[in-house]
Amino acid sequence: MQSTAEQIEQDLLRPLFHSSWKYWVAVALAASLLLAGVAAFGYQLYQGIGVWGLNSPVFWAFDITNFVFWIGISHAGTLISAILRLTNATWRRPVTRCAEAITVFSVLIGAIIPLCHLGRPWLAFWMIPYPSERHIWPNFRSPLAWDFFAISTYLTGSTTFLFLPTIPDFAAVRDAATGFRKKVYRILALGWQGTPRQWMRLETAMHIMAVVIVPVAVSVHTIVSWDFAMTLVPMWHSSIFGPYFVAGAIFSGIAALILAMALLRKFLHLEEYLRPIHFENLGKLLLTMSLLWFYFTFAERLTAWYGNSPPEMAVFWESIRKQFAPLFWTMVVCNFIIPVPLLAIKRLRTITGTAIASATVVVGMWLERFLIVVPALEHKFLPYSWGTYRPTWVEDTLMASSFGMMALLYLLFSKFVPMISIWEMKVGLQTHRGVPVVAPADGHVALEGPQ
Amino acid sequence: MNALYGLYPDAEGAQRAVDALRAASSELKFNAQQIVIVSGEPHEGYDFTDSQATSAPYRWAVLGAAVGGTTGYLLTTISQKSYPIHTGGMSITPAWTNGIIIYEMIMLGAILTTLVVLLIGARLPNFKPVITDPEVGKGKILVGVVDPPESSQPELERRLRLAGASQVKQSAGTL
Amino acid sequence: MAHKWGLVVDLDRCTGCEACVVACHAENNIPTAGEDQAARGRAKHWIRVERYWEGDFPNPKIRFQPVLCQQCDEAPCEPVCPTYASYHTPEGLNSQVYNRCIGTRFCANACPYNVRFFNYYNPQWDMPLHLQLNPDVSVRTVGIMEKCTFCVQRIKAAEIQAEAEKRDLKDGEFTTACAQSCASKALVFGDLNDPNSEVARLSDSNRGTKLLGELGTKPNVTYLERGTWEDAKHG
Repeated sequence: MQSTAEQIEQDLLRPLFHSSWKYWVAVALAASLLLAGVAAFGYQLYQGIGVWGLNSPVFWAFDITNFVFWIGISHAGTLISAILRLTNATWRRPVTRCAEAITVFSVLIGAIIPLCHLGRPWLAFWMIPYPSERHIWPNFRSPLAWDFFAISTYLTGSTTFLFLPTIPDFAAVRDAATGFRKKVYRILALGWQGTPRQWMRLETAMHIMAVVIVPVAVSVHTIVSWDFAMTLVPMWHSSIFGPYFVAGAIFSGIAALILAMALLRKFLHLEEYLRPIHFENLGKLLLTMSLLWFYFTFAERLTAWYGNSPPEMAVFWESIRKQFAPLFWTMVVCNFIIPVPLLAIKRLRTITGTAIASATVVVGMWLERFLIVVPALEHKFLPYSWGTYRPTWVEDTLMASSFGMMALLYLLFSKFVPMISIWEMKVGLQTHRGVPVVAPADGHVALEGPQ
Repeated sequence: MNALYGLYPDAEGAQRAVDALRAASSELKFNAQQIVIVSGEPHEGYDFTDSQATSAPYRWAVLGAAVGGTTGYLLTTISQKSYPIHTGGMSITPAWTNGIIIYEMIMLGAILTTLVVLLIGARLPNFKPVITDPEVGKGKILVGVVDPPESSQPELERRLRLAGASQVKQSAGTL
Repeated sequence: MAHKWGLVVDLDRCTGCEACVVACHAENNIPTAGEDQAARGRAKHWIRVERYWEGDFPNPKIRFQPVLCQQCDEAPCEPVCPTYASYHTPEGLNSQVYNRCIGTRFCANACPYNVRFFNYYNPQWDMPLHLQLNPDVSVRTVGIMEKCTFCVQRIKAAEIQAEAEKRDLKDGEFTTACAQSCASKALVFGDLNDPNSEVARLSDSNRGTKLLGELGTKPNVTYLERGTWEDAKHG
């Protein structure tokens, strides 16, 4: 079917104006998960953080695991959409906004989790550098202060990166809507008209943002990894953590993106826009990241094993053979053994195949974060004070509610903002004297965009 | 406000229309600034779009980055020197750790500056009525003149049609 | 010259009686965790006696090792605190400032000795033990990290007294609760910068080692022991 600009606008605006009952059920489920988390947090504030499973010496467990997990997921959007913009990969067009939305919401969740894990959360504002009457500033030598700056910068950057290209789309909604909706979108569109000057400025701004956001994203997860690597804890104090975490973040981020796209495609009827080629290309990226993850994990474990330092080996064997062995090997299966065949064999690299691989990767990457945090803390230098950890229902609820919050934000976003960038899809249709303006990704001379 | 404009199916037509209008501007007694062009997506490779290209946002971004970095440097150095608190045998202003804060502030400076420069450069937010047309959303490009003199309007309409307009309309601007 | 507080633990004298643990609890308002919380791994002992053993009766090799905050010169717990709640005082103590602590628990993770403890709940004392609280020491509320302070309240009291009397502090004039209660005088506390103090003399002993010294934390607690475990086996 030959698509036109009109068709694109109609298809991509439809979810904003019409929603099925299934949508509202999903929203209700997500909202109730989130509310359960809010209630659990209230309980935690009232009783004390002892309602968690933390103890001495395991002072961080689910809280930091989830924090690193969500910040990791956030690397999907901006990296994918920024790098694909910079390399002019035209197949990215339908994917960018879904990806960028994942980034913003997961960074937001990732920023909230450390606030909730504090012993005295009501004093979290002391992380903000302001001239305080207590004559004290935050300690800039602390990796947590770096986290604060990095995550704030990343949140600002990714929100900007997400919302700048939505301005013309808000204008499209404004023009198509009536009544109250029109008034709201008129404000959101900021009075966008679409003059060449505005388009040029917007594209320039997007280009600068794409260039800037990549180093920011790399720095964010590196700094998060330094929460661990800057200590002397055995198996944490490793210089590989920076690149390892960034690679792992991109890995889990792409997986989350594929899952989100598969769900959007099905439920918003975007089959014409999110096509098998997109899942194939992302699937190839996911395969690359799986191999890279394996390389990093192998390198890290090999150096520990070969060095044979007793404190490190205590932690090493806990993961490989002893208490955490079931989780460790599940992680390897989820991150490598299942995804690689599904993604490497062309016949299996379908939408369903990549979605299954992505689901296992998301689970595997959560396990990876957990296995980095807990075994090392359980087994530090003095064996007398080794300990164990088990989560409580409060931590389980908070974790589930983080997923609920993500789902809720994403669902609401899909209702109020076109999930696929309308104007960028229209650019994909452009021709110059009958020849496509943008080089198609697969090299065939055909009209870009939906066919 | 009152505008007379034509709707063109593609960028070639729009370029012809813009050229025609520029050529006719003195004859029909309007300024080049009164020419309005509106599209639903950017079109590169044509004079009417490429003439808007500017490297100013890049230079502003670099400046913003420099300001951010300086702020980061001053924040870390001054605050740590004012209230020197010893930790872990490190110096009071370690270059490594301050460097991380400075790096993030550089990036934040570039991001915020880019955002502000975009809003200013694109004249957003704008709450005055704008000339637009529902056909623009369907892929047409609007090219016209804002507040043309009454006497010039019939000739203007003829020129717009000659350049290939599928429709020629008048509008008082919409919000 | 400024004071530099240090402690010496003579492992050849330590009997493992844990009087130091009890005294520390009493002096520093440390609540007992209770059976349930202790089972969950939340027992708090600012000084604890670690027991390691090999072999069985009648010839086990046993080691008692009192472990407390080492007040490291290059403490790994200090740079990581985002609010400067853990910092190094000019007198060589690693100080935990309770009212700055927001409970990130990073310092406890960074400490290689596991000598930092977190208040997971508000402390409770069964009556009438609440009457036993030391008025010189703050009671820490939920969400705050705590650890051995070398009985800083006693240090401060002695320093204030000495200054009021316009004299220097004398070695042995005061000591920490743990050292005070040690029956076998295994714990000796004092000013390392005072060349005549007992702790300075003992710290220089060739029996002296530092716990986890290879990590480079530069602890101010010196452990004295005659030999290795092998030697202990042969008496």
